[in-house]
Amino acid sequence: MSSVLRSPSPRSAPSRGARSRAADAVARARLAVVPRVRRRAPRVPFVSLVSILLLAGVVGLLLFNTSLQQASFTATQLEDQADRLSARQQALAMELDALRDPQQLARSACSIGMVVGPTAAFLDLDTGAVSGEPQAAVAGPCGIAPRRPTYEPPTAAAAATRPEQVPVDTPQLTTDTRAQEQNGNGSGNANRTGDSTRGNAQQSDGAATANRGGGRR
Amino acid sequence: MGRVSRRRPTRGAAQFRLRVGFIVIAMVLSVFAARLVQLQGIDPRQYAQMAAKEGAVSVVLPAERGDILDRNGEALADSIDGLMVVADPSLTREDAPELATLLSKRLDLDYFTTLERLRKTDSRFQYVARQIPAAEATAAVEAAQEKGFTGLYTRDDPVRVYPDRDVAANLVGFLGTPDDDGSARPLAGLEDSFDTYLAGHDGEARYQTASGNRIPLGDATVDAARDGQDLVTTIDSDLQWRVQRWLQQTVQGAGGDSGYAVVMDTRTGEVLALADDPTYDASEPEAYPETLYTSRALSDVYEPGSVGKVLTAAGLIDAGKVTARTRFEVPGRLYRQDRPISDYFEHGTIRLTLAGIIAKSSNIGTVMANDLYGNGQQRRYLRSFGIGQKTGVGVAGESRGILPSKDAWTSQSADRIAFGQSYSVNALQMAAAVNTIANGGVRIDPSVVKGSATLDDGTVVGSDVATSHRVVSEDAARQTARMMERVVDPEAGVAPAAQVPGYRVAGKTGTAQRVGAECGCYDGTYTVSFAGFAPADDPRFTVYVVVQNPRNGGGGGSVAGPAFSKIMSYTLGRYGVAPTGTEPSRLAVEW
Repeated sequence: MSSVLRSPSPRSAPSRGARSRAADAVARARLAVVPRVRRRAPRVPFVSLVSILLLAGVVGLLLFNTSLQQASFTATQLEDQADRLSARQQALAMELDALRDPQQLARSACSIGMVVGPTAAFLDLDTGAVSGEPQAAVAGPCGIAPRRPTYEPPTAAAAATRPEQVPVDTPQLTTDTRAQEQNGNGSGNANRTGDSTRGNAQQSDGAATANRGGGRR
Repeated sequence: MGRVSRRRPTRGAAQFRLRVGFIVIAMVLSVFAARLVQLQGIDPRQYAQMAAKEGAVSVVLPAERGDILDRNGEALADSIDGLMVVADPSLTREDAPELATLLSKRLDLDYFTTLERLRKTDSRFQYVARQIPAAEATAAVEAAQEKGFTGLYTRDDPVRVYPDRDVAANLVGFLGTPDDDGSARPLAGLEDSFDTYLAGHDGEARYQTASGNRIPLGDATVDAARDGQDLVTTIDSDLQWRVQRWLQQTVQGAGGDSGYAVVMDTRTGEVLALADDPTYDASEPEAYPETLYTSRALSDVYEPGSVGKVLTAAGLIDAGKVTARTRFEVPGRLYRQDRPISDYFEHGTIRLTLAGIIAKSSNIGTVMANDLYGNGQQRRYLRSFGIGQKTGVGVAGESRGILPSKDAWTSQSADRIAFGQSYSVNALQMAAAVNTIANGGVRIDPSVVKGSATLDDGTVVGSDVATSHRVVSEDAARQTARMMERVVDPEAGVAPAAQVPGYRVAGKTGTAQRVGAECGCYDGTYTVSFAGFAPADDPRFTVYVVVQNPRNGGGGGSVAGPAFSKIMSYTLGRYGVAPTGTEPSRLAVEW
């Protein structure tokens, strides 16, 4: 649209002095419509800004989503790996536990010739006094009974043949042998062995023997 | 005018369009409404479920069962992740032989059983193997998948391992194959009595997945699992193992039926070892008869025999009736109301002090001393020693023992009770009673749980809550200990084999007649035992060894004595207890 209103034309100005001045003044005093200045705001930057924002948003969201999804894949994979590793760790710990089984340890110790230490002595660091009766370890069978494979109740016959099979701890034998010697030599005092033989045992608690068959319970 | 005439048709057209539009909107909305009514009104739950099901996954987060540990933190029972391998026979049927070969080789299964399962018709779910450590199971299934076999899956199936196998097996117990819902099935021991404490609570996670991966930002709720608590026992697994082996040697050597051994810390009442023989291997319990699963040291009752004499003597001294030096003229045979009482050794009238009666284990002497008790005193002392009451250590199936009631307490039964017959105990009960004397006359509750833990029935047990009470005076306990020292003296006593080189040892033998299961009477078999503590003048450990029905003719001193000596010697050395270096008791036994 072009402007419709214009300022009065200079042609119409009177040529004479005062009149023309008056006319000029009138002409000046008259209000005239000035043309509206219309500057178009350029649309391109705004549109591009909005488009860029939109596009960036969409792409960003997409990327964000993708990376989240990617992270989720990685998480799943890492979880699997963690599971596998913890399973492996447990398998190894189990192996270690099995090796730490006292029976296993004792057998290994035995196989390299170790024996159970007999009584030790104690050294008091303050006084320098030694207490206890130290004994030297004696090399020999370490006397570790194997685990009973399964259980079968002993019968009288089996028990009779058993004494040869008794595994004993060599270093600990001293007290036993002493006791046995005394059993053998103690002619003057048969009482001494006390409860330790069956003959005695059978007479032991005689009152109770008399109670046999009493059906107390 | 012209303007008006021009506008009228426009307004009419707009209204017409509005109406049409409104009708269309109303129709669409009523379709929505109808659908809404259908969805929400008719069967909302089904649709809600269908919506939730779509991609939603609910996973049980299994709580890890607590370990059972020994006092040093070594595992007696340990939980590890395990898997079960299951097959869908409709998919495995065709490749069954190859698959069975692979699985039986890798998982150590029986080929034919596996083959049969893989070929099963009319089934889409078959167990192939259960409780396989996760690493093995995953490897086997992956190997099968690599070769192109389908239809094998794994599922959670926790494994319980008992790395020390038979060590403390009777105490710890074991878990059987889990129920179908995956819950543990405790079958014996602490596993059973502390099941709730050990088990914890399973949790649950719900989230949405797409092709196996979790949808980020999807709905997710996690109810975390609460793992079970570890149960710390007072057992020392190395000592326990050694005690078990020595006990086994002792029982086998004597041709006995069974045996028990207890090692107790005198001052705290903590049980360092509680051995049963024969025992079983907790890692393969099915190879042993079920009768071996219980802790017979707690469930079996038997008459303690002469070990009970020390309780009688301690009570009498505390009551002020006698001292260790009180003199008795002991006849060869004592005629009582219903039957004569004799000693295990033939003798005429001998002059023994109370110390001599204990040292030589004279029944007649004990009965004569016991006559000095006032009415009801004997029973009160025994009750106070813990006889006839459960120790309450927290193992299911513990027996109470049998102490005759006040009404059944005749003078005849009082005589026999004086020397340890006519009442029954379990091994731990008796060990705790003897420990009372070691602990200066104060009975402390024995405990197998270190700290405290809650039983399934809600009772809290453990060393933290163990109570103690005075039974006899310190002086009475000390005098009794000095008398018990004479038992292992080679000259004065009956059990020199129970000595521990370098240490002062107090102990007492027991050779008791056994009540047979069949006749309910004394059947001519014996229970032999030895109970004692060391160092005698400052006791640290109480050890009690019992062998049922030895067939080699041995008694308490010769069968249980050497085992006591080995166990005590090892325990003292292991815990670095130095000999006290004082002079042993020289109490006169005769006068």
